[in-house]
Amino acid sequence: MKDLLRVTLLWLPIRGETAKVTTGNPAIHGPIRKSWLVEHNNWVFLLPTVLFFVWYQVYPIVRVVWISFTDYKYLTNDPANWVGFDNYAEALSDPLMWDSLGRAAYFTAMFLPGTIIIPLLLAVLIHGVQNQRLATVYRVILLIPAVIPSTLVFVLWKWMYNYQIGPINHFLVEVTGWFTYRNAPQWLGGTDLTLPSVAIMEVWWGLGYHSVFFLAGLAAIPKDLPEAARIDGANEWQVFRHIILPRLQPIMLILVILRFGTSMGVIDEYLIFGGFNRESPTYTWTIFMYDQAFKTGLWRQGLAAAIGMVGSLVMMAFVSWLIYIFRSRD
Amino acid sequence: MKKEFPLTNIIRHTLIVFFMLTILLPLAWVLLLSIKSMPDSMRGNLWPRKFDFNHYAYVFEKIDTLPQNLFNSIYVTSATVLITSVCAVLAGYAIVHLKPKGSLFLVTVLVLSLYFPTRVVSIISIYEIQDYLSLINSTNGLILPYITLNLAVSVLIMRSIFQLIPGELIDSARMDGAGPWKTLWLIGIPLAKNGLVVIIIVNFVTAWGEYLLAATLTNDQAVRTMPVVLASAQGGMGQWAWPRIAAVYVIVVLPGIIAFAMAQKLFFKGLMEGALKT
Repeated sequence: MKDLLRVTLLWLPIRGETAKVTTGNPAIHGPIRKSWLVEHNNWVFLLPTVLFFVWYQVYPIVRVVWISFTDYKYLTNDPANWVGFDNYAEALSDPLMWDSLGRAAYFTAMFLPGTIIIPLLLAVLIHGVQNQRLATVYRVILLIPAVIPSTLVFVLWKWMYNYQIGPINHFLVEVTGWFTYRNAPQWLGGTDLTLPSVAIMEVWWGLGYHSVFFLAGLAAIPKDLPEAARIDGANEWQVFRHIILPRLQPIMLILVILRFGTSMGVIDEYLIFGGFNRESPTYTWTIFMYDQAFKTGLWRQGLAAAIGMVGSLVMMAFVSWLIYIFRSRD
Repeated sequence: MKKEFPLTNIIRHTLIVFFMLTILLPLAWVLLLSIKSMPDSMRGNLWPRKFDFNHYAYVFEKIDTLPQNLFNSIYVTSATVLITSVCAVLAGYAIVHLKPKGSLFLVTVLVLSLYFPTRVVSIISIYEIQDYLSLINSTNGLILPYITLNLAVSVLIMRSIFQLIPGELIDSARMDGAGPWKTLWLIGIPLAKNGLVVIIIVNFVTAWGEYLLAATLTNDQAVRTMPVVLASAQGGMGQWAWPRIAAVYVIVVLPGIIAFAMAQKLFFKGLMEGALKT
């Protein structure tokens, strides 16, 4: 818990100079803060945030935890009965629970390295560009995918992978002649290629944004550090490995943790690309949960909530583990 | 400055240009698809033999729900962006400069919510809440859950932005007799405008493209937002012929890119100050 907070505080500066600057003059803040009225007046600023946050984030999660211990259904008028751990037992004994978690993990294993290493490489390349105007153009292009809303990225790539008009298969068949339309790969639609295809799309989406992240980190490294190492006879790889990389590690850590979370919890993409075929590689725990809650005729919210909780807990366990291994190396 | 070895420079720029093309080509493809003539759209060539610019007019005239869906998206997104930004500015300012009791606890909870797959799991009970409030299949109803999608991130970004404003500045305004509201309005907001641009863009992008809640909580085509319509549209014949659906796509994707292009400088400054702080 403490580790989790400390890691986050790396990202959200609370310590150091910024925190010092904001500590106001106690002569002014001191007496004012004691007043009951002012204290409550100040709370008014937090009220809208707290209201919405409790209403649509805290309460729903508490409610889902409660639902997961009952046989609650939207569709019946009968009151929900407390069933203890029955839903959890059912979820855990269903092989689909573990298969679907495994599929999410498989996707993460493909997506995560790509979405860290490729932007890192690109950022190092762009950081070395000396022409400032060109560097600005590159930075603007980098952020274009970041301002394309999620669903529009998925729709665009659904068409890119399309069998008839998709430019990817057009390239493979008509431009290069590596395939014919008979044996051209079918990217989406529950084939073995579906998860890799989704991973490529996600790497494309994050490529620019993550590069900008790394560029910010590279800009913070004092210029004379790599110079001094070069004068001492270090080659470019050694400079990168021993000077640059350690200083980018905090950014990498944040990206790994954030993207691990998003990639284990992917749902929109699988709803759009995969549907509800239980054999499909896109049928991960998120879809399993959604299927039980909304699509299957039974509308078993209790079981769905249990599946969601199991998935979330497994995910949180991995996040804690990731934070732990990154911590111990410092 | 050391002059770079030309060969390294050539390799560097070739690689960068390759990545830039990778980013731009899919977008160029869909833009070109929207102005291709029908037969060209079925041939896969990137550059069409014959252009046809009528698809844009066609989709507005012939797809009857399109203006409604577009309006729904604009309405839901504007309301979400407005309300979330107001919440985030007020909360970020208060957490840093007013420090009411419990603000550290609030920050901790906001941060923790980022690590939990809240969006995915909460859908089960958000459906129930909306059902209880009779907001299922209602465009208005989408605004409420949308506000919280990025609320935590927005508050945390505004918090790091307000941390850059010296406390002395705020204090001196208060010494001159300005209350906390006046101080925020006259000193805080003008100095925090880069961060404000970032959270407006972040919230715009999320709300404009939201799929999960919109697809789950609405049923009728007329109350739905553009992302759901586009995701469920099957390209093919008639009103959803490929160039036409691509025209719809360009209409939906362009506002974000244009807004970003206009606010680009402020957005970068804001990112560096707040969101990318390490």
